[in-house]
Amino acid sequence: MIMHFKIAIYFLFLSIFFTSCEKIITLPIEDNEQKIVIEGNITDLPGPYFVKLTKSVGLNEANVYPVIDNATVIISDNMGKKDTLTYTTDGMYKTRSIVGVYGYTYNLEVKINGKIYTAQSTMPNKVNLDNLRINTFPINGETRFSIIPVYQDPITLGNSYRFIQKINDTLDNNYNIFNDNLNNGKINQRPLNNRNEDLTIKLFDIISVEMQCISPSSYTYFYTLTQQSGAGPGGGTVPANPPNNITGGALGLFSAHTTQTKQIQIRLN
Amino acid sequence: MSFMYRKLIVLLIFGIFSNTQLVQAQDNATVNGTVKDKLTGESIMGAIIKIVQLPNVVVTSNEYGFYAIALPKGKYDLRISYVGFEEKRIPINLNGPLNMPVFLESKNQLEEVVVESKRKDENLIKAQIGTETLNMKSISKVPVIFGEKDVLKTIQLLPGVKSAGEGNSGFFVRGGGADQNLILLDEAPVYNASHLLGFFSTFNSDAIKDATIIKGNAPAQYGGRLSSVLDVKMKEGNNKNYTVNGGLGLISSRLSIEGPIQEDKSSFILSGRRTYADMFLKATEKFKDNILYFYDLNAKANYKINDKNRIYFSGYFGKDELGLGSSFGIDWGNKTGTIRWNRVINSKLFLNTSFIYSDYSYSVGLKNGETNFKINSNIKDVNLKQDYTFYLNPKNTIRYGFNSILHTIRPSVFSGTVNNNIKKVGRNGLENALYFNNNYKANQKLTLDYGLRVSAYSLMGGDVYNVYKDDIITESILLKKNEFGKTYINLEPRFTGNYRINDLSSIKLAYARNVQHLHLLSNATAASPSDQWIGNSYNIKPELADQTSIGFARNFDNNTYELGAEVYYKYMQNQLDYKDGANINTIADVESALLYGVGRAYGFELLAKKKLGLFSGWVSYTLSKTERKINGINGGNWYNARQDRTHDISIVTILELNSNWTVSGVFVYNTGNAVTYPTGKYNIGNQTIFQYASRNANRMPDYHRLDLSFTYENKTKKKNVGSWNFSLYNVYGRENAYQINFQDDPLDKTKTQIVQTALFKWVPSVTYNFKF
Repeated sequence: MIMHFKIAIYFLFLSIFFTSCEKIITLPIEDNEQKIVIEGNITDLPGPYFVKLTKSVGLNEANVYPVIDNATVIISDNMGKKDTLTYTTDGMYKTRSIVGVYGYTYNLEVKINGKIYTAQSTMPNKVNLDNLRINTFPINGETRFSIIPVYQDPITLGNSYRFIQKINDTLDNNYNIFNDNLNNGKINQRPLNNRNEDLTIKLFDIISVEMQCISPSSYTYFYTLTQQSGAGPGGGTVPANPPNNITGGALGLFSAHTTQTKQIQIRLN
Repeated sequence: MSFMYRKLIVLLIFGIFSNTQLVQAQDNATVNGTVKDKLTGESIMGAIIKIVQLPNVVVTSNEYGFYAIALPKGKYDLRISYVGFEEKRIPINLNGPLNMPVFLESKNQLEEVVVESKRKDENLIKAQIGTETLNMKSISKVPVIFGEKDVLKTIQLLPGVKSAGEGNSGFFVRGGGADQNLILLDEAPVYNASHLLGFFSTFNSDAIKDATIIKGNAPAQYGGRLSSVLDVKMKEGNNKNYTVNGGLGLISSRLSIEGPIQEDKSSFILSGRRTYADMFLKATEKFKDNILYFYDLNAKANYKINDKNRIYFSGYFGKDELGLGSSFGIDWGNKTGTIRWNRVINSKLFLNTSFIYSDYSYSVGLKNGETNFKINSNIKDVNLKQDYTFYLNPKNTIRYGFNSILHTIRPSVFSGTVNNNIKKVGRNGLENALYFNNNYKANQKLTLDYGLRVSAYSLMGGDVYNVYKDDIITESILLKKNEFGKTYINLEPRFTGNYRINDLSSIKLAYARNVQHLHLLSNATAASPSDQWIGNSYNIKPELADQTSIGFARNFDNNTYELGAEVYYKYMQNQLDYKDGANINTIADVESALLYGVGRAYGFELLAKKKLGLFSGWVSYTLSKTERKINGINGGNWYNARQDRTHDISIVTILELNSNWTVSGVFVYNTGNAVTYPTGKYNIGNQTIFQYASRNANRMPDYHRLDLSFTYENKTKKKNVGSWNFSLYNVYGRENAYQINFQDDPLDKTKTQIVQTALFKWVPSVTYNFKF
């Protein structure tokens, strides 16, 4: 949170005094070690659920990620149910029978060319997204809008949330990752970030917000990403691959989480 | 205490007394006094006092201008010298204790030098290594950004001292962190020495007399930080006449008044500064609600009770305010106050007692709809210090004393509609130190400076301390208010030796252990006012650094040129960092997110100065390496610290064109700081995520810049002098990389784009300075 103020103040300062200059550059980039990328999700909605297996690529290559289509993917839960996923297309593996239930722990096992990667995630209890509210605030003489997701944080400590915001069906690529380190057990008042200057929220826009109750390991993963912004003294923390819950050295995340989506149109009242 | 140390102490004490006996066998008397500037009454530190009849005897005046020499009774001639002043000769007849005040007259201004030595060949005789003193009067002509002369920007042009970023007053010394510099303003520690995100320092040059930086091998009276001591001294105030100094600049203005309260007895100085960038904001429709300014105020007064007692009061108050309308704001500031009492106990013993208060606080406020909260952090010190200087004999000058500091640290306390889940109360810590140091001039060639500091830090109550083992709490200790917990005791031996090989050159050798009990938590790439201080705890152990350095100094052409080369190796223990993804501002117990490790730094530094003449300046070069090894970062392997930089060159030149114009230039070149660039990328949730390899294995692009400054001053006029300073920062407009971002190319989403942001192209400035 403080990080964001810092950046905002810093850019305010720069915009006033200096014509800070941006330019596109090229840099010598080291060879990349290609790694397996696992993205697996289990939600509280009815299945099927998907696990996507790809490989990372070098920085200067196109954003086209090689898919893995010859893996064995198994998801089991702590009640003894076991599901072997079937391959569809584009690196996607589909569950057949497993069901997402609050409080259940899910184990993922991926076998690629004899090498095994495992992950574990427990689906948190659902916290209901009661409502979306519009928040207005002035910046540099303009009225800006942001969305406050209204939910009652439970009194037990350790709840983590992720919000995915779409503005007129366009994904806002800011990560909105909350937890109850502050104001535990209270109704949320904190607005979602909307710091993307070419995707600001305007009057009459339709905003949809997906709320996910996520595990602490997913929180750490996404929060680490929010803290990394560029290299140099103006940047955030020193970037690194975010810690994840996958053993065996694969990138990505396996997450059992709840999901609920609401929509609102921006109006003045 | 280990047997080795005990043996060492016995040896040191025995060493003094064994050679005392020889001297005391004769009938001795002591001459002492204070060295002052005749024109202003300011005391002069570091003046050289020699006895013409005894070429072996060389004494320097201390921080308060005081000197004392014990000699066999007889007739002598004192010869007192200090660079920039006329040498003075005083005949004395020493029959018993003698008080001999000395007033020196300043020389023609043209002979002023930039980096100052008190004596032309002082660098060859003193047992000091990695030490430079900057005199404010003389650095005024070095060009700096925004035309605001600034001691913290100028020290960054010395070898081994690196800037924390473009135009930034933060600095790193010999691979240490920004929090490992002990920054003292009249003995009071300054916890955040920057204004406006680092573009200005808290030191108003009008109120500053001089600043000394000691790069890790400090004598035993200094302690508490690993890397360096920056000892900044405020002016005392002219005790002969009233003077007003000031400056009008584009961004800020300064004004200071000094003068006698009672002539020759007491004087004061009052100095203020404020930026008025926000005035420009008010004029624009878009930014009119934004706030952006800082101000600071320095005040000092001294009163001479009698020949033996003198009291000084000094204070600093500074504040920064930044805000975006009513939606959010940040403010931070330092307050320091020092009361000092100089007392000449007897002809050989000088005592200074200081009572020091220091407070740094930081607050963020946010208002957004019905959300309305503040985050407050604060660190407060109450500090008592007694420092004795005992002028035992011409060969031995002993300093000993103690220092007790009560720290109160309150990190990130939320208030308003957002609150911490468990109310944070803050912690106290008591830091104590005892020290002893002897400066021993063995003979004309060899000078040794050795000492020992014993430092202790006791955890104090008011808060819960959790003990962690492998991330699990094994014990929770609640210390009641004023209750003591664990105490850490450390021995810090210090040694510096100087051997003069011949008239022109000397070699130096030094070792020091430094201990640090307060730590700044920051893993961001730049320091920020929101970074948190934390004291030792059951998990956090005192940071330790052992530094060894070797130096060689040589003067050329009748001491006109000075060359110094030094190598150092430093090993640091109990270094702190924190885990990826930890939010240290909101986390209930920040200690649960900490990681520990070691660091090492080594390098070679070269400084060549031309000290005298119409053309003066220096060239400095640093070759260095700084690494960290932290359990849990980079797979537990060594990695480059963020301040690691291989080559650094600074060239500073000052040319007096004629009696009115001075031209000066600064050129800096360095190879980039260590950074982490991604090597690859992948996709999660339809967003590109970058893949990283080793930490800090990459380099920012090379940095270079030239600054020029022209000063016009009518030097023929004695009174009501005005001067104009025109300067241009980054003369050839190089876009030096400040930040590098990686993102999807907005035009072709299948590609990655690398965007470099540079802060400034050119920054011109004009300042008018006046004095009457």
